[in-house]
Amino acid sequence: MTVARAFARRFDELPALVAFTSEAFARESVDPALRPDVDFALEELFTNMVKYSPTGDAEVMIEVTGIAGGVEVRMTDFGVEPFDVTQAPDADVTLPIEARRPGGLGLHLIRRLLDSIDYEYRQDIRQSRITFRKTKGGVRPPERAADTGRR
Amino acid sequence: MFAIESGPAGVVIARGRLDAAQSAAAQAFLDTVRGIVALDCSGLEYISSAGLGVLLKTQKRLLGEGGKLRLTGVNRHLQDIFGYSGFDQLFEIEPAP
Repeated sequence: MTVARAFARRFDELPALVAFTSEAFARESVDPALRPDVDFALEELFTNMVKYSPTGDAEVMIEVTGIAGGVEVRMTDFGVEPFDVTQAPDADVTLPIEARRPGGLGLHLIRRLLDSIDYEYRQDIRQSRITFRKTKGGVRPPERAADTGRR
Repeated sequence: MFAIESGPAGVVIARGRLDAAQSAAAQAFLDTVRGIVALDCSGLEYISSAGLGVLLKTQKRLLGEGGKLRLTGVNRHLQDIFGYSGFDQLFEIEPAP
């Protein structure tokens, strides 16, 4: 089964988004321990959609489906230009603090927190669709600083 | 819900969800702190990249003034976020027990 809801293209929809994931996790019996990572991905991707296509009228459709050991989330954005979130460059997280600037970490982090993320664009209807998965036993990337003794 | 306030012995306590909607309030509070500051994150359930920006901006300012921001009581989710973003190289981080 899938739980779906449409959200207006506004930053002030974020609290409703959080309430929706809470409800969807309960209805789909998804482990709540996965919620922070899923919420992080949803917030970053949703704010990107609002930021980069702020004038669109169409709502953003979000669908949450329970899968074995976790959850699949699909975000569909209508009437927009393509922006492949899987191709955005990583942030350089090794820079010293003097060279670090706020921002630019969202997509970098999402690719590390999730098991998978896919992007499709349909030119004929100008539709972007992002599908991501998060499971309890999901693969962790090897470069996580805390696991490599850099601390 | 998000709350940030001064606790005992100069500790700053953050609770709840520090997301994009709350980052302005968090920044306004942290703009007022000085010196070496411990931010108790034991009640902080969630942080977004907007929240990371708040911490980075505060750390840059405090280091420039001879102070720093220490993060204590950091849960597993926050540890992951800080690790992947390289913040574990920019902050002293004390994990939650």
